[in-house]
Amino acid sequence: MKNFYRKVAFGLGPDEKVPSDPLEWANNQLNNVPEFSWKGKILPEKELRGYYREWVYGDRKVLRKKFKNDKDGYKREKNKLRHATGQKFWWNLELCIRYSEALKSQNPVLAKLWYFWGNHFAISEKDFLAQYTTGAYQREIIRANMNQNFEKMAQEATKGWSMIHHLDNEQNIGPKSQSAKWAREKGKKRGVNENHARELLELHTVSPNCGYSQEDVIQMAYIMSGWRPEWGKKRLETGDVHFDPNAHQPGSKIVLGKKYKSGRKGLSNAITDLVNHPSCREFIAMKLCRYLITDNPTKEMMEPIIKAWEKSDGFLPEIHKAAIEVAFHYSDQYNKFQNPENWLLQMSKMADVDLIPSPAFMDLYKIGNKPIRDQRALEYLMDELGQHPYLAKQPNGWSDISEDWMSPELLIRRLVYAREAYYKKSGNSQTKEFYEEMIEKNYDNPGEILKIIGQHRELVHKHVILFNLPETLRS
Amino acid sequence: MKISRRNFLKGSATTLFLAGFNFPVLANADKKKNLVIIMLRGGMDGLCAVPIIGDKNFEKRRKDLILDKTIKLNSDFALHPKLKNFHNLWQNNLGAIVHATNIPYTKRSHFDGQNLMETGGHIPYAIKTGWLGRGMKLAELKGDGLALALPMPLILRGIPSNDNFYPSKKRLPRTELLQLLKSIYANKSEHDLANMMEIIANRSMMNNGGTSMSRKNSSLALKAGLELKKINGPRVAVFEVDGFDTHAAQGGVNGSHSDSLIEMDSIFKSLEKGLGSEIENTLILTLTEFGRTIEQNGGRGTEHGYGSAIFMAGGLLKQTQVYSDWPGLKKKELFEGRDLNSTIDARSVYASAMSTVFDIDFKRIQKEVFWGDKLQNLSDKLFKT
Repeated sequence: MKNFYRKVAFGLGPDEKVPSDPLEWANNQLNNVPEFSWKGKILPEKELRGYYREWVYGDRKVLRKKFKNDKDGYKREKNKLRHATGQKFWWNLELCIRYSEALKSQNPVLAKLWYFWGNHFAISEKDFLAQYTTGAYQREIIRANMNQNFEKMAQEATKGWSMIHHLDNEQNIGPKSQSAKWAREKGKKRGVNENHARELLELHTVSPNCGYSQEDVIQMAYIMSGWRPEWGKKRLETGDVHFDPNAHQPGSKIVLGKKYKSGRKGLSNAITDLVNHPSCREFIAMKLCRYLITDNPTKEMMEPIIKAWEKSDGFLPEIHKAAIEVAFHYSDQYNKFQNPENWLLQMSKMADVDLIPSPAFMDLYKIGNKPIRDQRALEYLMDELGQHPYLAKQPNGWSDISEDWMSPELLIRRLVYAREAYYKKSGNSQTKEFYEEMIEKNYDNPGEILKIIGQHRELVHKHVILFNLPETLRS
Repeated sequence: MKISRRNFLKGSATTLFLAGFNFPVLANADKKKNLVIIMLRGGMDGLCAVPIIGDKNFEKRRKDLILDKTIKLNSDFALHPKLKNFHNLWQNNLGAIVHATNIPYTKRSHFDGQNLMETGGHIPYAIKTGWLGRGMKLAELKGDGLALALPMPLILRGIPSNDNFYPSKKRLPRTELLQLLKSIYANKSEHDLANMMEIIANRSMMNNGGTSMSRKNSSLALKAGLELKKINGPRVAVFEVDGFDTHAAQGGVNGSHSDSLIEMDSIFKSLEKGLGSEIENTLILTLTEFGRTIEQNGGRGTEHGYGSAIFMAGGLLKQTQVYSDWPGLKKKELFEGRDLNSTIDARSVYASAMSTVFDIDFKRIQKEVFWGDKLQNLSDKLFKT
């Protein structure tokens, strides 16, 4: 049962008492979305997008032309522009904010689910989105909606600048639209880009299990045509998303047998129908179980989550509570192999590892300067561990299948960074007693574990073994 | 100069007369053969790497990007002058090129294109396994893949227990600790973890002293070559080279595209060195998501295009040749009026290569790895079968 604290959160830290009622402890964290526990600077998405704009415009429109015959000069000036726009800094700041929620907040369960949703509506590696806006998107659109209906999160994620740009919807132009006609007159071809429409169906809502056809995807793309950033010569593709009627495919569309009128409201109406489709709740229930419990969730696991969804009309706190309860119910039978990020946070929390730079230290950063190496520690670390949360390779996010996290190099990283982490602990946590208490609090078989790590005398070796035991790798 | 479309299909004339004497396959059947794929990310410019000689359209559209002192390969094609190691292989009858080829993807997004070059599919993100992984599964090559990268690349997915090598900058814990973990894993029936710990423990013994190895592709390739050479070593290796997306300052011989080509060239060199005589039983192929526009842009770079080229090396090549069904570079011959066309589905080359190296009937690969898509069996033309 104690692995429940590691399964739905990151285990219990040295200052935390073992809750008398584990379910109540978890559920109490899910009703509200509290302020961030990070006490340093937090920038709005819009401001960060402004820096992204300066970078894109400066590189594409200025430097590439100015240095067309000078490779080295181009590289040099481009590096200056990186620092002038904070390219190496912002995502490190975002990681501090992100990990404070796991390690220093009163709601680590909410944090673990935040990471789930950020990965569900993933912004994968594209251009320099990760360096500028992905963290902010996950704060303002994902986390901010965790006490709302799923529909609200889906509506905002779909129409948010990050997703529209990430999935190329700005290039999705109705072939019979006014814009396409104008383009044709200039000898250019414009048409649908079905990327975003397909992912909305496949990854974000109903999943292929619902049996949509390629025609449904195209019709969905027609509905989405015209949703794009407001274009400007200096803004390029970084303007706010709006509905451009000139790029919208005229006429009504049919998706999954339902008819949608032409125009702005089509997308909102279609999303409403998608999130209320039975396949959507089944898919999300399956994914929540897969994230928290096992690679192969059973019907019995998914059922209470689907019921909670139906009863609450997709209210996320109720869905989360149902998922947590199922995880609790199965916590003795199933252990889930933890991805590198959750593993690192678990170790940092339980062993009191000083993972996150202080707000005061991060706020020393001045735009235009190169960040100090230690201000970039988290970026390097996540890259080394093989799971930088803003750099998923594909729009389906980082995998939550165990096998994908098993490779010799990935396992080596856990060995060497467990060791590194040990040296980032405060002195008073580097004692045998500290470990005994921590193991007692967080594991169901403390006696066996103490015996195993007792085979090595040095504390650092005990630490490395503990955090690479199957009991820790899986929770 | 004018080249007719079908000119190259017959292969280069010098070695043609040898081609008739095919010996039975028997001799090869029990040999360990290796397949190496080098992924070139960003869109490799086939016309920069392997330029056509004397084409007026080409010279006109790329005034500032034409290379000086290219290496002449035959009467029609030259080689980028920085590809010295590849040229060396070529001269030893260990190098060949397929030109005007690409995966069947024409939309010019890196994002989608790189997904498709790895899955081998038609719809981005629809397939979750890689063509190489599926081919290995068909050949029952579990545990025979080696990726020179930290995450397991998509191209190898579809078969479990692949190894990867991308050295950490930190020192491994001592061997006793690794052995202890291995026995714990074994006791708890964590067989996958136990297998991996075995690999790691062996590595730690080899690398005692803990000097961290370089992650440069040239040193990874040396290591990979030595591993592939072992009779019980991996049979498949995958590399990645970034930086081919040169929208600006692509330049001439010392431009930014050259930097990435040189990195690719260093892999050829180190693999050859590591493999030693086993290069004879190896096939090395490059893979990219698309080529680049013929026309240079305002920043003396190139935009995303379509047709590109595949570099091939190793002793399993049939002969030194530029194999192509050359589409021409006149405006009307270009794809959408701007890109070198692709006249050979690159997947035909990869399917034929797997057929040759894995000793599996081409038709089975076509059917089970590529869903029965229309592909040409090029094994006889390109490889020793």
